[in-house]
Amino acid sequence: MLRYIIVRLIWICIVLITFLSLLFVSIRIVPEFPPTNEDQKEIYYARQEKDGYYYSELITDPGEVQKIARGERNDDWYYREMSEGYRVYKPVPIIKQYTVWIKNVVTEFDWGLSTRVKVNEPVFDLMKEKLPHTIKLNMLALIIFIPVGFILGIIAALRKNKLTDNIISLGVMIFISIPAFVVMLLLVMFLGYQLNLLPPQYPSSDITGSIQLKALVLPVLALSFFPIATLTRLTRAELTEVLTSEFLLLARTKGLTRRQAVIRHAMRNSMVPLVPVIIFSFVRLVGGSIIIERIYSIPGMGRLYLDALTLNSFDYNLILALSGFYTSISLFAILIVDLSYGIVDPRIRMGARK
Amino acid sequence: MREYDKKHENIDPKEFEFVQRDEKIYDKRFETKPIGYFKDAMIRFSKNKTNVVATIILAILILFSILVPIVTSKNYSKLEDQLQFLPPRVPLLEKIGIYDGTVYYDEQLVDLETYDPETGIGYPMGFNPKFIVEGTLETYQETCNTKEEFCVGGVNILALLNEDTSGTIQSKETYSFVVANNPEITIDIDSFSGENVKLEVLLSTDTTFDTIATITEAGKETLNIYDLIEDDVDFTSRVRYVLSATSEGASVTLNSIEYSNVSDVESILHTGYSLNDSYRITSGAVSYERFDGLYTRANFTYDAYGAAFYERREKAFSSLKFDELVSQYPDVCQLPADPSDLVGWEFSEGCPVKRVLAQSDKMTGPDGRDYYSYDLVLNYQVYRDYDEIPHFLFGTDQYGRDYFALVWLGLRTSLFVGLIVAFINISIGIVYGAIEGYYGGRVDLLMERFAEIIGRIPFLVWLSLFVILLGPGLLTIIVLMTVTGWLGVAGVTRTQFYRYKGREYVLASRTLGAKDFRIIFRHILPNGIGTIITQSVLMIPGVIFLESTVSYLGYGIGHGQSFKILGFIELSGVSIGVLLSDGRTQIIDRPHLIFFPAIIISILMITFNMFGNALRDAFNPSLRGSE
Repeated sequence: MLRYIIVRLIWICIVLITFLSLLFVSIRIVPEFPPTNEDQKEIYYARQEKDGYYYSELITDPGEVQKIARGERNDDWYYREMSEGYRVYKPVPIIKQYTVWIKNVVTEFDWGLSTRVKVNEPVFDLMKEKLPHTIKLNMLALIIFIPVGFILGIIAALRKNKLTDNIISLGVMIFISIPAFVVMLLLVMFLGYQLNLLPPQYPSSDITGSIQLKALVLPVLALSFFPIATLTRLTRAELTEVLTSEFLLLARTKGLTRRQAVIRHAMRNSMVPLVPVIIFSFVRLVGGSIIIERIYSIPGMGRLYLDALTLNSFDYNLILALSGFYTSISLFAILIVDLSYGIVDPRIRMGARK
Repeated sequence: MREYDKKHENIDPKEFEFVQRDEKIYDKRFETKPIGYFKDAMIRFSKNKTNVVATIILAILILFSILVPIVTSKNYSKLEDQLQFLPPRVPLLEKIGIYDGTVYYDEQLVDLETYDPETGIGYPMGFNPKFIVEGTLETYQETCNTKEEFCVGGVNILALLNEDTSGTIQSKETYSFVVANNPEITIDIDSFSGENVKLEVLLSTDTTFDTIATITEAGKETLNIYDLIEDDVDFTSRVRYVLSATSEGASVTLNSIEYSNVSDVESILHTGYSLNDSYRITSGAVSYERFDGLYTRANFTYDAYGAAFYERREKAFSSLKFDELVSQYPDVCQLPADPSDLVGWEFSEGCPVKRVLAQSDKMTGPDGRDYYSYDLVLNYQVYRDYDEIPHFLFGTDQYGRDYFALVWLGLRTSLFVGLIVAFINISIGIVYGAIEGYYGGRVDLLMERFAEIIGRIPFLVWLSLFVILLGPGLLTIIVLMTVTGWLGVAGVTRTQFYRYKGREYVLASRTLGAKDFRIIFRHILPNGIGTIITQSVLMIPGVIFLESTVSYLGYGIGHGQSFKILGFIELSGVSIGVLLSDGRTQIIDRPHLIFFPAIIISILMITFNMFGNALRDAFNPSLRGSE
């Protein structure tokens, strides 16, 4: 088991590093977007030099200085005006930048500075600041969608082909089909603006009181509709299958009531395929909350990601760090899914030889 | 089943007869038609009524998305700002008052010139009173403390803050005082509060400000300037008012200040807004705020269509265009006796031009002709050749385009992108899955690992990669959706190949010398095609889902983009995601701009999914109800 986990962890590292490297190299090929403000630019390039992505030369030769002053400059370089001439910052070759980057990330966990979103702030600090909002939102959605999905699924399975089941199935179909952002827009429109029941936008953190709680209702609702629908559909399908199986019939013939049989035998057996769905739903939730955060102006990780991805004002370091974050969440979730199979169903031994 | 049994219990033996006692039937053709794989699926498909209904709705949606942009007579491509943001107007519903093209406005400021204090009715600013629906106009007044012109009357309070004992306000304008005019300043003070409060009036005849009067009691006080200053000279000065007191928080409430015979004007009266706006605080910790002003506001229902099609003012209407326009309507557009001077001329009803307000100077061009333009008012309905006021079923958008056509156009784009992407995904997926499944072993293992890596990167990370590399646009969308989209098809194909590749007919074919290519595409693939088809159909709504999301975020199809595909199919830069993203800015006042596209795409997605599920159930009855 331990060996299996270690192999999987190595595998995760490989995927993460491969993809981040791909992203890193792509980013270095396309145009750069350093800070726009001249002072901030100075600090930024000094830091880039210190980190090892750039090297600088002092140009004092009058002829050269004249040329630069006339505007004969290389677009990839940064020229800093000094009293004695110009200091030119030139990027080191990509392959060297890459090794430096790997070194910085692995040894110091230094993901660089933000260039546009919050200039010259370490990106990891930015992420730490935004993380609580996203976690709060997603955890609430998780707490809501699992029991609701389960209960609806169980009700639908026990009342199969009755009116209740049909209504639930129709609801499932609707909520599985409509994109989360459309749901969110409609919710904001009706409950937020038309009926004035709930705040139509996320309040800023200095407003306190019940409004902070009320403001969570709409995004959590919009986030949980899809996972509820998925979970309900799957629970229903699994439970119907188990309910018709022979061991349940045996349980009933032994004298268990229907309730006992369902709770003790059917539920646990139908759980096996549900665990991965729950975990994947959570991963989806984390990704899906990005657009919800945008619509509702929630200052979370998703907003940060989209801010970093503003057209023609990309904040590359932030994008890299956030990509790493989201990719590792998804990879670890898959690992947990695989491990959980063994816990829920002891017949499955992960990584066991035939 | 039980019913069936009952019906066939105790049948009289006489009713039985031999069907083919005397015939030989072994070389007879079957009278029933054979039921093939697809026909069988079709029968199963049509059994589920809900799914059939869903399929019909889906077909109608698709048909609409293709036909509406072609058939519609309304404009959905050109900008027509006169028709901006019209509300929905639906032919039958308008009779019962729903979607009748009227808009309810509330809290609109009333134009005070039209306000009649006796009846309490005034018309709102920026609206044509003719199109306010009769009986809906309500005018009311409410108090306001804002520094706004339309907040009328009230008092201004100058108050000391933070333990300060004096504070000054000064007029923004400089006034000239002339001996011969006998200038006066009348100050109307409502009340003082605090201990030893006084208001000093200061003027500067030379360089410094000197106190000319001190007021300590409420009421009207008229100050004759040259009675109060020593020298009889003309001078210009700003006016300062200094409030001072011995207690904290003292204040003076001002009603009005009137300057008589100042700056060659008989009277300048400062009350309410002007009393506040004409002065600024120059020293001391004081506040100078307005209180108890009145807003006059109106709530009413407005006939937006009537107003939009009624008239339009064109400030620079070229004379050439004017001549052409008038000559098109020779019967109704009667010109005056002297056609060279049209200013002030009113055209009769039915002419596209209503009246001419002004005419610009003539410029003689190089060809010797005169060029000039008119400032005129057009009858918009005639000018745009509308026989009657049109019905925009979903209203119009911010550019005056018909939203109904736009929604279907957007849907067409979404569907089209969905089809292209589905086609690419299916092609890649089938080939990849076929190779994986057919060759198996190490090839399969390696290819599976590769697919796994790709599949485990979150969608957003892919999005950032392609947005950075390719920028936003159709290409980004397609690449983004194909990069992980084929995995599903590949997986299904792979399973199908594992299932069929060991069958005897494959072995037989191989023995006969068939190449791998032939075995894959001629023998194995057709067997698994049903499953693959359903998988592919189920993929399309997912693609549309993603496309609208990405376009909503602004990384997909955008405004001003259009694409020609195969030279004749033109896609505009409108998709449901774009419409929703534009509508987001109007969500408070015009929710229908969000509502209609959201509902249409929701119906599309629901019916598409139902159709896909029905198809899957039909092809694979064993999978029914799963997933």
